[in-house]
Amino acid sequence: MSHCRPWEHGWSRRRMLGALAAGSAAAGGAGAAGLGGLLQPAVADELARNDKQILLIWLDGGMSQLESWDPKPNTPFGGPFRSIPTTLPGIHVSELMPKLARQMKRLALVRSMKTEDANHSSGVPKIMRGHPRNRGVTYPFFGSAVAKLMGPTASGLPPYVWVKPGNGGFISKHAGFLGARYGALALGDGKPPANLVRPDSITSDADRVRQELRKKFNRQFADRRRGDFNEANSYVYDVAQTLMKHVELFDEKQLKETDRQRYGTHDLGRHALLARRLIEAGVRFVQVTSYGWDTHGDNFNSHASRMPKVDQSISALIEDLFDRGLDERVLVVVMAEFGRTPRINGSVGRDHWPNAWSVAMTGCGIRTGTVVGETLADGTDVKSTPYDIGHMFHTWFSAVGLDSAEAQYMNGTQPLPIAHDDMHKVDELLI
Amino acid sequence: MGYYTGSFMSPDGRRGVSWVVPRQFLDRKPIMRRWVFLCAISLGGSAAPAVDAADESLHAAIDRLIDAQAGDAVRAPAADDAEFLRRVMLDLAGRIPTHIETSRFLDDKSSKKRDVLIDSLLAGQDYPRRMQELFHAMLMERRGDHVEWTKFLRHAFAKNLPWDQVARAMLAPDSGDENLRGAAYFLTARLTKEGAMAPVDVPGLTRDVGRLLAGVDLGCAQCHDHVSIDDYKQVDFQGLHMIFENMQSRRGDSFPAVTERVMKKDKEFQSVFTMDPRTTGLRIPGAGDVPIQTFPKGEEYSVAPDRKAKTPGVLKFSPLKELARGLAARGNPLFARNIVNRLWFVMMGRGLVEPLDLFHSANPPTHPELLERLATEFTAHDFDIKWLLGQLARSECYQRSSRLPGEGPLPDATTYAVANQKRLSAEQLFWSTMIATGEISRMKPKPGTGLEQVVAQTESLAALQKQFLKTFANPPREPEVDFAPTVKGALYLMHDEKVLELLKPRTGNLIERLSSMKDTKQAAEALFLAVVSRRPSGSDREAVERLLEKKEGVARAEAIGQLAWALLTSTEFCVNH
Repeated sequence: MSHCRPWEHGWSRRRMLGALAAGSAAAGGAGAAGLGGLLQPAVADELARNDKQILLIWLDGGMSQLESWDPKPNTPFGGPFRSIPTTLPGIHVSELMPKLARQMKRLALVRSMKTEDANHSSGVPKIMRGHPRNRGVTYPFFGSAVAKLMGPTASGLPPYVWVKPGNGGFISKHAGFLGARYGALALGDGKPPANLVRPDSITSDADRVRQELRKKFNRQFADRRRGDFNEANSYVYDVAQTLMKHVELFDEKQLKETDRQRYGTHDLGRHALLARRLIEAGVRFVQVTSYGWDTHGDNFNSHASRMPKVDQSISALIEDLFDRGLDERVLVVVMAEFGRTPRINGSVGRDHWPNAWSVAMTGCGIRTGTVVGETLADGTDVKSTPYDIGHMFHTWFSAVGLDSAEAQYMNGTQPLPIAHDDMHKVDELLI
Repeated sequence: MGYYTGSFMSPDGRRGVSWVVPRQFLDRKPIMRRWVFLCAISLGGSAAPAVDAADESLHAAIDRLIDAQAGDAVRAPAADDAEFLRRVMLDLAGRIPTHIETSRFLDDKSSKKRDVLIDSLLAGQDYPRRMQELFHAMLMERRGDHVEWTKFLRHAFAKNLPWDQVARAMLAPDSGDENLRGAAYFLTARLTKEGAMAPVDVPGLTRDVGRLLAGVDLGCAQCHDHVSIDDYKQVDFQGLHMIFENMQSRRGDSFPAVTERVMKKDKEFQSVFTMDPRTTGLRIPGAGDVPIQTFPKGEEYSVAPDRKAKTPGVLKFSPLKELARGLAARGNPLFARNIVNRLWFVMMGRGLVEPLDLFHSANPPTHPELLERLATEFTAHDFDIKWLLGQLARSECYQRSSRLPGEGPLPDATTYAVANQKRLSAEQLFWSTMIATGEISRMKPKPGTGLEQVVAQTESLAALQKQFLKTFANPPREPEVDFAPTVKGALYLMHDEKVLELLKPRTGNLIERLSSMKDTKQAAEALFLAVVSRRPSGSDREAVERLLEKKEGVARAEAIGQLAWALLTSTEFCVNH
């Protein structure tokens, strides 16, 4: 049903996003599916044309910046590893990432991250939410925010898919105040959601008949009723059917052996490869998580065994995205909740260090071949202008075409900025 | 001519004052009205001004106040009998009506049949189960379950215990009362570790007590005064929190239980912003300070604990009992407002205050006078939940249609001019699916057998029930407030073999019953009555006729199964509208 709502009369971008955020009618997100009755066609078109996508690699527990992007060899805290030159003149990274060193020209690096929270339990959500100013509401994680602000792509696939080790399911708590439906569809170990495959007892014809009947009954029900419940309920069936069409995504037999070898057969490799295919299939936001980076003990052996997996899979991913021209519209971010202490503790480990760490990114209007900021010679603090996660959120939103200085969510009647209102995008990182 | 009446209670609920004033007197004397109002506050009563309770029932007052505020908004007509029956059955019995109940109600010509139905549902055998399921989801937020907790809730609602007594049982559990001791699970379930690395979340318990029993979420005031809500102070949090820090789960019993230590001194805390050291005694939401009483060493107990007999003893000063007495009290305005707002939400699909757990002065109710009236009368009726639900169900506001014929925009949800749609809980969805598909009647239960017994006695149905709850309930610790259908739920109903089996003809089930009907019109009517609790419309009939045309035997049964599936997965079935 289309009946007009206040925001349909005159719509600045701010108003439009606010309207989407209010969400009472945007049921399944601002996707092509839910837009028809909600926005004037021109706005709907504008959003539908936005084909930008995001791929977040999350190294949970806190990858060491000193054993990766910001090595400090031959200093008291440097540890045993050497640094190696990269394709960017003058820029060195840890010897544990030789393949990524060759990709440095295609990356942008921020070495001056300085964030607030040194705890996993509160630090992870803070970083994931872009740590906005506290307004008494629970902000969405990055993926849920994008699911809300951009909705699904024209593919109709769920906008926020999370590939992770362990169990899958639907993780609604990522959505914060936006409401459960903007949560993550989690694919545990990359496995498809339960019940994705139609059992043999139902032929595709029989399925078509019953789905058509369901739609007919729903249309009748929704007539002259508030539409949000029916939109939400119809949306999940649409997504389920769209996912079924992509069942091949979960068929590992269809993978090329060369791809498998390039990405690696370990968890991160398999999950990064699935992430590439999910992006190609049109998922708006894909997150890949690798656990176990909390190296309080035996930091160096841990990184010696873990870093090659990151090096292998992320470099293969970047290679593929650039080879296929996807870098033009896919933003890739590699980060964790914080870095690790320069000081080496009594268990030959490194502890939590939000004071000076690094984030890498590329694609979608990010200025490649850039290194922003630097740390002190011993790595203990940021030497240049420090950047918080809020600055990154502004930058990333900008890269995917959202004006984060203007756009707002609406939480009931409370307007909320989508990124920290005291912070701004980092122009050096953008083309 | 009429009278204003009201009553106040002292914060501990022990002294009560009732008053009656001629209406004319107060209406003409604004100063007197204000005086009465202030008296109400100073006596610790709810801050409601004089209430006209003498000549107006609560449901009439609801309609008067809702109507006054809805102003010019176009009203939906009254729900027709089918719409009303389904709605009130879901709300008060936790399930849809059977096709027999529906036809009987639709064919009943009595003008009083709605009131009769409401009363019979409130007195019926489904009511305690429905309330147990509702309050379980509301209070435990899917943290888990315990047989003793279920027993407590079932007892509370079967006996229609006053809400203050129910709340006191949860806050200061009495392990000596076999029917009520399971209430301790409200506390103990929140004192378990969520993982090997996670500490027990005592602040989370403090927060939940405020949220669920007083409608105030003090969570963000743990380390400093709330940054955006002026009413929520750190001292409020800390003064409540110290009660739970002084308490722990008691081990070694088969039922949930807690023990308290002797509380010796005020709690010291400081704001992470100002670093000023401060102290507080107990502080109870809506009731203020309770000084700590101390006793000389050795004299803290009126009944000393006995280690050998494993009896915990009885403290002379029990912070939990102080909390129970101060929070679940007649004089505590937050206590009554919180629960009437939550029950209003359950029945009307929207809270008068939203979010349900953010009562504060900058977040006023949409209908302030109504909220006060509900709270005052609910208190005056001894916190009688059954009475309140009956009044809500009798209002025109509740009995309006969720559909607005004609043209033009639908009025805002807060006007209640058109009934709001409501989420079905996983339990409501399960029982309704069982009723609709004829699974319960297929088992031919003896008259008077509850739904639960039928399912518990049938292994396959018990397994299905578990799977339904797993699929449609929210994850732990997420309030089930919004309608939040999931892809998981859709795929489950689309493809799960056990679900699909419900839609194959089996002796005595819906599909078999319909397949045996030669007349398609008759089959269409039976199908719609069974699943969506109404008679089919013209176009519904056409859809059925078109699909069943010339189909016989297996093909016909299959087509009926497809129709039933489409109705079961339709929005009409999976929401309360």
